[in-house]
Amino acid sequence: MPEIALSVRGLKAGYGEKVILKDVDLTVETGEIRVILGGSGCGKSTLLKCCIGLLRPMDGEIEMLGQRLDQLDGAERTALLTRIGVLFQYGALLGSITIGENVALPMREHTDLPESVINEMVRLKLAAVELTHAEHLLPSELSGGMRKRAALARALALDPELLFCDEPGAGLDPLTSAELDELLMRLRDRFGMAVVVVTHELLSIERISDKLIYLAEGVPIADGTLDDLKYSGEDEVRAFFARQAAGEMRGPQTALEALAAGG
Amino acid sequence: MKTSPKTSLRFELDGDPSAATLRLAGPVRRDVVAELNTLLERHAPGSGATLTLDLADVEAMDSAAVAAMVTAFRRARDAGGRLVTDPLSEQARRALATFRLGPDPQPKPAPPGLLESTGGTVIGGFQGFVDFLQLAADATFAIFDALRAPRRMRWGALAEQSIDIGSRALGIVGLITFLVGLTVAFQSAHQLRQFGAAIFVADLTAVSMVREMGPLMTAILVAGRSGSSIAAEIATMKVSEEVDALTVMGMEPTRYLAVPRLLAIIMMVPLLTVLADLLGCLGGFLVGVGYLDIAWNAFLNKMLEAIAPWDLISGLIKSVAFAYGIGLIGLFYGFRVRGGASEVGRTTTASVVASIFYIIVADCLFSVLFYIVL
Repeated sequence: MPEIALSVRGLKAGYGEKVILKDVDLTVETGEIRVILGGSGCGKSTLLKCCIGLLRPMDGEIEMLGQRLDQLDGAERTALLTRIGVLFQYGALLGSITIGENVALPMREHTDLPESVINEMVRLKLAAVELTHAEHLLPSELSGGMRKRAALARALALDPELLFCDEPGAGLDPLTSAELDELLMRLRDRFGMAVVVVTHELLSIERISDKLIYLAEGVPIADGTLDDLKYSGEDEVRAFFARQAAGEMRGPQTALEALAAGG
Repeated sequence: MKTSPKTSLRFELDGDPSAATLRLAGPVRRDVVAELNTLLERHAPGSGATLTLDLADVEAMDSAAVAAMVTAFRRARDAGGRLVTDPLSEQARRALATFRLGPDPQPKPAPPGLLESTGGTVIGGFQGFVDFLQLAADATFAIFDALRAPRRMRWGALAEQSIDIGSRALGIVGLITFLVGLTVAFQSAHQLRQFGAAIFVADLTAVSMVREMGPLMTAILVAGRSGSSIAAEIATMKVSEEVDALTVMGMEPTRYLAVPRLLAIIMMVPLLTVLADLLGCLGGFLVGVGYLDIAWNAFLNKMLEAIAPWDLISGLIKSVAFAYGIGLIGLFYGFRVRGGASEVGRTTTASVVASIFYIIVADCLFSVLFYIVL
């Protein structure tokens, strides 16, 4: 088993002419939960998209589980993709099939396991996210939080060695969110799974993160443990943990300031 | 990466069937689980028997292996036997401890029987019809409201929809009806020439285009082009909660979304029909002059004599009725959608099928009405 689950070196990425990410270096070891932080629009999701191969980097390289996804194709690419799991922000469950079938989909597609074992595996994964009662329901019949958990069960379908989560806690109540964190940590401990999480939830960050990286306008400005970041030299990073707006309120003056002062 | 050679399960089986021990060794991952499952099925403990799984030498286990063991455990319990895992290696213990045992498998809810599903279809169909009438009434009132208070009318949206439904369809409607006119004239030319009545191709083409084929072909094309797009657009808005957002912001979706589309389609389809009539007649004219060698002015005169004002008007009345129906059906299917992406596709198809069905039935009724009753 490789020691380094994910390694990003000198990544530059964007859409069309627009560069979103620059000079991103990131290393995630096996058995580590790595949190990607940053304000809205700082490129967190773009980084995630690059890692899982949905967006081709402009420059730099990304190595997952010792292999470069962008250099593989065909069966080798598929083989690598079956070793990672992705939890999308809005779940991305297929709407025309039941929750159970959604979870079973990667198992049916990529393994030759007998049907009885697949069914039992589906129930194990659904039990892990406490959704066994929803096995035969359609995604449209579930609440947002339940859909998120079902999507996690699907991401875990093939026991991934590397799991990417885009805002796992968003839209979940604190209790469910905590249980989800608990589950991620348990899987990390038991199987040495590496997890890359994009999140804003401070509570969740404090619970799960082994290491963090903070992106500001596409550039990592802090990389380290929770304490490293809390006492970081960067104002923006410290402000994030203190839940304050960085600096004074910037931008144009208010209407009152403009009009009452007579222009 | 080289795909690893097909590994096989390392195991040893001891003891008699009433108290057997299955010793597993090495990594037990999903590439060997099919084999493990077969083994567990073959040696499933019967009533009163016990199968012991010795996992002391297991180096790694994944969820597939756990699932196979849980399946065997349930099977043994249901048969009155026992399956125990003892002793465990650290890795096996961890893997088993990671996953919680779900409840016993729930049977899939049985699909409703013939009687129930028939009843459901009938009641659903009736309810759907009532909903459709409700929408038709709401939308019609909303149109009159909008016309009474033109300031509240969304003129920009009306223009946009009119361009979409009307001008963008000019080419296809013109081409298709031209070809239909050509075909009708050509088919009838052969028959009528046998009686020396070739000149009546002019009457036949003109009347059939203006009374029947013009409105009908235009309506079918608009149903396929614009009815489907209305249904798909509104369905997507419904699925992504945009319709709910409009409702909550105090903008009735029937007014905000339905009125511009309905008005546009009601205005544009008759206009397209006029174009269709003209180009259909042109098709007939070309056959008459080019193929039947009739003098062009004679043929043209015959055509113009054949069409009474009422022919044109009845065709346009029909086209307005078709347009109104196509618009309402598109809106109805769009607003009715529930669920996700697959439902949007299904609902769009259903709306086109229903529109074309409606057009043909309404056309039939109008033909009878105009010739017999009036």
